[in-house]
Amino acid sequence: MSKLGRVVEAVENYNQFVLDEVKRARSDKAFGKKLLDRWNEVKANTPIGTAPTGLKLPRLALPEIDEAGEIARYLLGEGLPGEFPFTNGAYREMYLEPLREPEEGSYGKNGRNGKNGKNGTKPAPKAEQEEPTRLFSGFGLAEDTNERFHYLTGHQRSARLSTAFDGPTLYGIDSDAEGVFGKIGEGGLAIDTYEDMVRLYDGFDMGSPSFSASMTISGPAPIIMAMYIAAAKKRFGPSVIPKLRGTIQADIFKEVQAQNETIFPTEASLRFLCDMIEFTTREMPRWYPVSISGYHIGEAGATPVQQAAYTLSNGFAYAELLSKRGISVDQFGPRLSFFLDCGLDVEYIALARASRRIWAIGMRDAFGAGPKGQMFKLHTQTSGRSLVAAEFKNNLTRTAAELMLAYMNGTNSCHSNSADEPFTTPSEEWIRLAAHGQAILLDESGIFKHTMNMLTGSPGMKAVERAVEAAILEEFRQIEELGGVLSAIEHRYQRSQIQNAAHRYEQQIYDGTRPIIALNKYANAKEEMPEVEMVRTPRAKKQLQVDRLAKFKKKNAEKAQRALDKLSDVVERGENFFPTLIETVEVCSLGQITGRLQEIVGHFRPMV
Amino acid sequence: MAAPIRVLTAVPICDGHDSAINTINLEFIRHGIEVVYMGYHRYATDMVRAAIQEDVRALGISSYNGGHVEFFSEVAALLKKQGADYIKLFGGGGGTITTVDAAAMRRKGVDKIFFAGTPLSEMVDYVHQHYGGARKRGGKAPTAEMKLARKLTEIEDSYAGGKRKRPMPNAQRRMPKGKKSGRKSGTRVFGFTGPGGAGKTTLIDELVLRLLNREPKVRIAILSHDPSVVGLGALLGDRATMINSQDERVFMRSMATRGQAGGLSPATEDCLQLLAHSDFDYVIIETVGTGQEAMPFQMGLVDKTVLVMNPDYGSRLQLQKIVMLDLADIVVVNKSDQERARTAISEIERRLDQNKRSQTTVSTVANRHRDAGVDELCDLLLEKR
Repeated sequence: MSKLGRVVEAVENYNQFVLDEVKRARSDKAFGKKLLDRWNEVKANTPIGTAPTGLKLPRLALPEIDEAGEIARYLLGEGLPGEFPFTNGAYREMYLEPLREPEEGSYGKNGRNGKNGKNGTKPAPKAEQEEPTRLFSGFGLAEDTNERFHYLTGHQRSARLSTAFDGPTLYGIDSDAEGVFGKIGEGGLAIDTYEDMVRLYDGFDMGSPSFSASMTISGPAPIIMAMYIAAAKKRFGPSVIPKLRGTIQADIFKEVQAQNETIFPTEASLRFLCDMIEFTTREMPRWYPVSISGYHIGEAGATPVQQAAYTLSNGFAYAELLSKRGISVDQFGPRLSFFLDCGLDVEYIALARASRRIWAIGMRDAFGAGPKGQMFKLHTQTSGRSLVAAEFKNNLTRTAAELMLAYMNGTNSCHSNSADEPFTTPSEEWIRLAAHGQAILLDESGIFKHTMNMLTGSPGMKAVERAVEAAILEEFRQIEELGGVLSAIEHRYQRSQIQNAAHRYEQQIYDGTRPIIALNKYANAKEEMPEVEMVRTPRAKKQLQVDRLAKFKKKNAEKAQRALDKLSDVVERGENFFPTLIETVEVCSLGQITGRLQEIVGHFRPMV
Repeated sequence: MAAPIRVLTAVPICDGHDSAINTINLEFIRHGIEVVYMGYHRYATDMVRAAIQEDVRALGISSYNGGHVEFFSEVAALLKKQGADYIKLFGGGGGTITTVDAAAMRRKGVDKIFFAGTPLSEMVDYVHQHYGGARKRGGKAPTAEMKLARKLTEIEDSYAGGKRKRPMPNAQRRMPKGKKSGRKSGTRVFGFTGPGGAGKTTLIDELVLRLLNREPKVRIAILSHDPSVVGLGALLGDRATMINSQDERVFMRSMATRGQAGGLSPATEDCLQLLAHSDFDYVIIETVGTGQEAMPFQMGLVDKTVLVMNPDYGSRLQLQKIVMLDLADIVVVNKSDQERARTAISEIERRLDQNKRSQTTVSTVANRHRDAGVDELCDLLLEKR
């Protein structure tokens, strides 16, 4: 049995355990009393906040139950926010605004200073209470994206940058490669050398606690990570390395299953990835070296259940690989994070809740992880696939509904798509509206800022949660039957499942059983293609990138050969190549390094 | 019945968005179109070379990662430069391609752009209406490669048109004496067969890499097969997983079996004849995934036959039923890193001992870079007769 089989067993056993404890709570008086005492204590210690209208509300809402069995079912089955199995949230307070008045009770003493009341300055955000808004951004050259970053974060307390790369970068190719000129800076920004990386984060204090960078790249992730480190080192010296905060996607499994941005054979990619993770967990304790991503699986057409099942099983597969490397689960567990899609299908009512629960139980009971390694820390993006070109302003409504679902599910951070996404890299106008959508929901409305559990636990949500959990476990069993995640990939299992689901989705749109407003329902026959402002990288800029690269290559021509040879030696010897890679990037371009590594380990062979 | 329309589809370099094209491919196939699918992250030069070799009616490109105006223009210019603009260029990219872009692309020679929200049926109809009629080739003198590609089309279409029928079932046919003498001296023909999922395509692609590396001036032809039923289309997908065979020294042609059982097409034999008598050093022919009773290479044109198996063929008894084990010159046990491989190899060797002829077994892991087993297979194939 692979670890995934053990995860299935663990969840089944846990569910049985909860049922047994419910019974015991009803029959064993002492146990029942213990539960009731805990329940009353939690309620008594819950601080009370005040809405702007003056309404007083508890900061944590709990079900109206007073019977030991039901209390056991709640506390053990889903847990308080921030408690195992984390169904209601990875943290206790999530998006709640800081308490505005001093309150009685220990629960209110969370580093809040009551004197910073209505007119005072805001207290510094705690890690769990920083703004959850993340806007994915990247276009043109490094300096263009840099400017966009400054624009986006100008009004925020903290700079949390999320970086998109162009096609050549995602495939580890240089901007001067055959046939890629048109793609330079399109759909993301171009990075060829670590000097581009220096330009990209210019003006930001990369070592500061209020700065973090997220980079959405997987195939060449170790090389890009090395460039990030080299850039930070150049600007702030080597002492900055342990202070670096951020996330790199680096998820090879989902690339092979859905997104197709893979450049080395799977086995070699995983080896390079584990080299990087080994380094960052040791040297960069605040870095998230892999973001296990269902988003692209969802966007490629998977059902929500497939998305969650493949993402979670990929996560468990990484955990298995890292354990085999001899890294302790308590070292790597807290550094794993997740990324899911949120669309309009009914499963999204509880998809993240079910995922958090399965992850927690699996990590605790199949991998022996401590509390920090059990938390499913989630970034959500609203569904790009759900947006359509026809009467595209409707996309604002779609995204708003998806945002609501994402926050109801307790996501730790979120990106809201711009309405113009079906046509183009988002333009400033629509990006601004997308960001405002989140602010309206979190800051302006009272839905999420006063009380935890505001929209959780309805009978419908619980029904979806249970159905989704059962379906995810069923998917796990299928994968386990094929010999685990890697073996299922070899069998094309995930790919063919995703493709079948995608085909069904398209069919449903064409035959009308899946209504898409303004596309197959209430469609306006006369409608022309919308006129939107297109973001394109001008030819001169593309040329500038190519010229810069040429200059870099010329400057380092001699050193590059030696550095590449040194890197080859390390790889051939089977050592961890990442420390050497950080030196290699100082004199070699992305494409030079990719090319050399492909000579040693080969190219990825696409699957259809 | 008219021959099916053949189109080539692909996704440009640095673009992995294959969800739309997968759906479109399926729809085309259901409506009788044969689709040669090249996969994603493909260079313009490779697409144009493939379109010419496959002699398709049209090349369809699905682009979602930007740079489409440049990419489509590059493809159109390459087609024109080579005198191959009789192959029509079409494509789409959802909402990423605006009407302004499409107009620019049309000026550069793109025949048709489908915008976001186009029903699949409209695309199918367009292909039938615009790429299904009588073919007009350009005035430019065709290259040798184009001539070869056209001849292959003529052969294939003549069978589909019912003008020609296979005279006899495969098994009863023998090559007339002396036919081999017409070949370029030293042309070697290798036949690869075996069950689906054994890794034939990967193995051939790795073999091609070795041949290309060993002999700088080598010219290789590949004739690959995928199954199809009469009246329906086919997905000819081998090119999508081949990474080394996208090379100017390689001529590849993908064929659908068009209803014929046994792993090959009615036109295979004539096409193989033609390739064997053209200017290639090696001709490699790959059957579809075959069953136990198949014995596809009976036409006498193949110098060596290779049966590719993987270790999970079931019980030893199953081996007795595989006819190709009697006929193959080389039996490859691929995926030999699997647990069961050791047992499989010894079972297969014992089975071959019954035949009392010189057959060789090789174990390979074709999807492993620089696999020594594939090197060994390459050496064996290149041995003099």
